[in-house]
Amino acid sequence: MPMPAGVPAPSSVPVPSSPADAADEIGSGNSDGAAPGLPVAGSATAAAATGTADWGADTGWLRLSPRSLVVRPVTDLVRLLPVVAGLLILHSRTGVGLIWGIVASVGAIVTGVVHWFTTRYRITDERVYLRRGLLSQKNLSVARDRIRTVDVTAHPLHRLLGVCRVSIGTGRNDFAAGESFHLDGLSRSDAESLRVLLLTGPQAAAQVAVGQAGLGDAPAAGGSFIQPGLTKPLALGLPAAAPQPGDELVRLRLGWLRYAPLTMTGLVVLGVMVGSAVQFSNATNVNLATTSPVRQIFADFEALPLARRILAGVAAALVGYVLVATAGYVGVFWKFRLVRQGADTLRVTRGLLSTRATTISLARLRGVEISEPLLLRAARGARCIAITTGLLVGRGAEREGSVLLPPAPRAVAQAVAAEVLGVSGETCSGWLERHGPAARRRRYLRALAGAALIIAVVAWLTTVGHGPAWIWLGTLALLPIAAALAADRYRSLGHRLINGRLVTRTGSLVRRRSIIATEAIIGWRIHQSWFQRRQGLVTLTATTAAGRQHYAVQDVPATQALAIAAAATGDLIRPFLAAELDLPAELTEQD
Amino acid sequence: MTTEGMAADALLPGLRAPGNRVSRRAVSYWTARAAVSGASVLLAEVVAAATSGFSAAWRTAIAATAALMAAHAVIMPRWRFRVHRWEVTDEALYTRSGWFSVHWRIAPISRIQTIDSHRSFGERIFGLANVTATTASAAGPVRIHGLDRATADELLDRLAVATGRTPGDAT
Repeated sequence: MPMPAGVPAPSSVPVPSSPADAADEIGSGNSDGAAPGLPVAGSATAAAATGTADWGADTGWLRLSPRSLVVRPVTDLVRLLPVVAGLLILHSRTGVGLIWGIVASVGAIVTGVVHWFTTRYRITDERVYLRRGLLSQKNLSVARDRIRTVDVTAHPLHRLLGVCRVSIGTGRNDFAAGESFHLDGLSRSDAESLRVLLLTGPQAAAQVAVGQAGLGDAPAAGGSFIQPGLTKPLALGLPAAAPQPGDELVRLRLGWLRYAPLTMTGLVVLGVMVGSAVQFSNATNVNLATTSPVRQIFADFEALPLARRILAGVAAALVGYVLVATAGYVGVFWKFRLVRQGADTLRVTRGLLSTRATTISLARLRGVEISEPLLLRAARGARCIAITTGLLVGRGAEREGSVLLPPAPRAVAQAVAAEVLGVSGETCSGWLERHGPAARRRRYLRALAGAALIIAVVAWLTTVGHGPAWIWLGTLALLPIAAALAADRYRSLGHRLINGRLVTRTGSLVRRRSIIATEAIIGWRIHQSWFQRRQGLVTLTATTAAGRQHYAVQDVPATQALAIAAAATGDLIRPFLAAELDLPAELTEQD
Repeated sequence: MTTEGMAADALLPGLRAPGNRVSRRAVSYWTARAAVSGASVLLAEVVAAATSGFSAAWRTAIAATAALMAAHAVIMPRWRFRVHRWEVTDEALYTRSGWFSVHWRIAPISRIQTIDSHRSFGERIFGLANVTATTASAAGPVRIHGLDRATADELLDRLAVATGRTPGDAT
């Protein structure tokens, strides 16, 4: 089969497409054909060299790997499996189940084929275009210099077939369903070439190289985990992009498994397992609680005396939870590696069954968040999340791919943060400015008032309902708990400006230390509630286009808040300060 | 803009208050809005009370709600009018809003991505408009409520010109 110049992978043959019939939905489209079509699969240089300038806007469209034809029907069927299995069992005698099974399979295969035929993408010098959909066609395009991250994921079926899913992250944070920019079913080599092309494209030269801090900054205590050195050259299908040497910053240690039960990840895994068990039970009409092994266990359990029953129940729950949490940790973070590739990208790879490789452009990295859920903190552990435009932080941050370090020793987390940001360890682990007695009073007031409210409501309910008094007397135990929480929340509060970064820390149940570059701050919010006004406090919030989008310095004395804002972004806030306010000329420390 | 604006902010002495007040008509608009929402709550209570034959407890609850809603409709708009202020310079948009709790917002003009003006049905009755400037941060829109139409249009033009001057993708 004759191939266009320099296309090595048979899975990505440029096909002529129908005329463009809809305008770009994102951004102003540049489809006038001025830029020569640039098929990505290894032919970027070849096409440019042979000068295929007559390629118009309607050429150079690429398809997903034909192997992806298998992926969609099978994943759809697997998703339907509980239902199909239930139908087969229910109607095995009448044959209706078989018919339904066939209908479902045919439907899945047809949608798979339609998806493959209708999904096409194209890469020009300036933009990446994506078309998909048969009846309602989606046309998406994104400017290449707006691409912040490239995320390559593969679930087990993907891996079996040698394909993967590529998600392209831009700064846009409000994607509606169906508008996310992803290609599901690229061959592995195409995905790799695409990743390299998109993140080391024309914009790479213009990007400011982020300074690389010396490895000596890492605390000596955990110094051995950072292993500088060259990794294996990547298997690139792209001769133009020389194999990039990678500095491995950190890789998973088996000992870190001890942190697995200390985060909520285990609960999430448990929830998913219970959910699928219920779904299976519903679909197949098999009541799991009445199956003989389960009944046997319950019978044995009921034979025990009460105290032993409680003990056995708690022990079983604990062991089960630890097992599930550890399995979850292994599944998500197996073979975790954080690698710096060249001067401008970070690469995170991980996963046991489903794998994920996230590439983050360092020029878009605005900071790092070190988070310590209470239990993890008690075990001197922490985890790291990247604050970058294009990757949202929040619930499911692990799904979103911004994880820089799974739950690991705190010293490792601090060293990784310092290394990635190119700053000294002091920024990531040093002392923080306290917020003072008013902030402490407010913490206690809020926590105790909340507890008092609950106690009052419970007391009222028990008197009205003539319940036993021990119920509301028992809630009195909330008071010391609230006080302890308040004390810890105050201990967590802190901020500091150092090396051009705003460091802020808050929270008790999950304590977060956020380190954000001051040049990434694109606005300020100052909030003062009526109660805060009486105490002379404000909450100062820096807004940014990265991560959580806003980072707060909570309950800080008003003048201190203005001093922080003025020191971080002087030109922005100075015109709005009262003339009589005296601020230190420069608060930012350098070290 | 005005010399009044150069004085220290009475609410937060380190800052100075933004130069401009919003339109005086905003007080009437806020009063009307508070009255309508208060009346709808009262109506719901009266309907609920009617089904149970206007017991003494319901009558007390309705009287208390009416007093509270009336106080809110009288106090909130005037208090709010004293808090809401705004100012635009060549470099930044600066606003103060709220009443019981107060928010100050500062957004650099160079980081503003979209500017739009919206007039709800209620605002149209009172000849008002609000202006929203969004930045690249999902947490960053700056809203100015209760401007009169002419001021809002003028502000839109001014912001459009100012944002057009700065290149870059504003992240």
